[in-house]
Amino acid sequence: MVRFWFRSYALLVRWTALRLRFVLPLVLIVQSFLAVGIVVGFAYLVPDLDPATALYLSTGAPTLGLITIGMVMAPQLIALSKTEGTFTYNRTLPVPRTAVLAADLTTWLVTGTPGLLLGLLTAVLRFDLHLRVSPVVVGAVLLVALTATTAGFALAYAAPPATTSLATQALVFVALMFSPINFPAERLPDWLQAAHRVLPFQYMAQAVRESLTSPPGGIAALPYAVLGAWCLAGLAITLRVMTRRP
Amino acid sequence: MRGTVLNINSLTKVYPDGSRANDGITLVVRAGQVTGLLGHNGAGKTTLLHQVVGLVRPTSGRIRLLGRDPVADPAYARTVCSFQPQSHAPLTGVTARQAIEIVGRIRGGGRRAVQSRTTELLAALDIEEWADAPAERLSGGVRRLIAFCMAIVTPGRLVMLDEPTNDVDPVRRRLLWERIRTLAAAGHAVVLVTHNVAEAERTIDQVVVLNHGRVVATGSPADLAAGHEMRLELARPGGISTPEWCRAVHRDGDRMTMTLAAADASRAVAWALAHTARFALHSAGLEDVYIRLTDSGEGDRGAVLVS
Repeated sequence: MVRFWFRSYALLVRWTALRLRFVLPLVLIVQSFLAVGIVVGFAYLVPDLDPATALYLSTGAPTLGLITIGMVMAPQLIALSKTEGTFTYNRTLPVPRTAVLAADLTTWLVTGTPGLLLGLLTAVLRFDLHLRVSPVVVGAVLLVALTATTAGFALAYAAPPATTSLATQALVFVALMFSPINFPAERLPDWLQAAHRVLPFQYMAQAVRESLTSPPGGIAALPYAVLGAWCLAGLAITLRVMTRRP
Repeated sequence: MRGTVLNINSLTKVYPDGSRANDGITLVVRAGQVTGLLGHNGAGKTTLLHQVVGLVRPTSGRIRLLGRDPVADPAYARTVCSFQPQSHAPLTGVTARQAIEIVGRIRGGGRRAVQSRTTELLAALDIEEWADAPAERLSGGVRRLIAFCMAIVTPGRLVMLDEPTNDVDPVRRRLLWERIRTLAAAGHAVVLVTHNVAEAERTIDQVVVLNHGRVVATGSPADLAAGHEMRLELARPGGISTPEWCRAVHRDGDRMTMTLAAADASRAVAWALAHTARFALHSAGLEDVYIRLTDSGEGDRGAVLVS
């Protein structure tokens, strides 16, 4: 049973990678460009960056990169696969649903890694930052990427393709401009702060930031709990839609 | 009698919008047998296949697939049943060979076996020249053939094909029908949906005609055609009186079609020869039977409306 799962998983990763091999490099370039662009571009917008703001920008950029991959690009390609019939076709293949989901997640996580590293490198060079990277960073990045991607999947699987396309555009705008990712939450109005206590964005930013800087007060556990809950909800909705029979 | 692979009993599917796609369908599919599902668009053929492979949940009735219940265990259904959907297979970014091989492996085939089988199928369907070209740019017919190969490269004990001949040219359609017979000869049960009734007649063992979600006829093509009338077609301008053996006459411009009992065939030929050199006498084929079966359904509905 376990062997069957891994065999299916490995073949599905190959199948997905083959199908997307012309699209993924493009996604990788766009996402890297975005992560680097935020660091460089926002510094033009705010000429005199204090160290605290620079830190927010530098750690926010890779977080936004992961959000873009998981919540915008992955759902858009899934919407496309629903239109093309790939989604229904895969449902007729003798493979565990969890293996299909795991293979898709793997593809997206791997695609997101180079942009993440590049964004971070740019930030360190641009702002002359001294990061104190904690080993927790691997888990933090993985959880953030996983949460973004499962939330994106849930949206793409549950909503009609056209809705997905529009919703992801709105999402990236909200994440970029109205989420405490590149700046502290205190700058937002109260109602928006309250919304972000439930939404995953600020926790994503906090988990990545703290794991890269190892603050003296230690790394907070709350972001991990909230992201874990979002992740599980995303997985549950995705699997439910994948196995639903009208 | 050979082993039963699929046994469907009183299967009914009513969609949430109230449309009754399948209405009390009962049928048996055996190993080594090719079953053709015939019916108009919307007759419920695809819904029937989707219920067997676990994409759609029946409203009531029972399906037994090799003695097990595919509704309760859709994962099992997918392992024993290989399915070619009506929609195009996902071929973006891959070549025909890659698509066929990877699906063959996913369906449980070994690497070497799948490779040689893929080469064999590409040759058998005469599509080798496109084997390594980007598949998404190929014509609809070739893509349909690739999807067919994907379904049968590592065939399950039940192979279900939803309109496999669509868009395929006549020469390659023959090659495709041959492969379907080969599958059956190897012991697989094949269920296929087609609108290509005349061609299917030569390949299928069992015909199931669906009309408005119900089975209106089941049997071998020969059984269904047996006892049916013959058709005399002739082209002749002007009016001629209808001979007494003629049961029905249909005029279409200068063409005239008469139906008659098989026993009256020689009288009809003699009569036709006396009037024209251009005529044809047909025994009822599956297509005639099919049209009559499905037309009568429409006729009944019409009669209800006017009365």
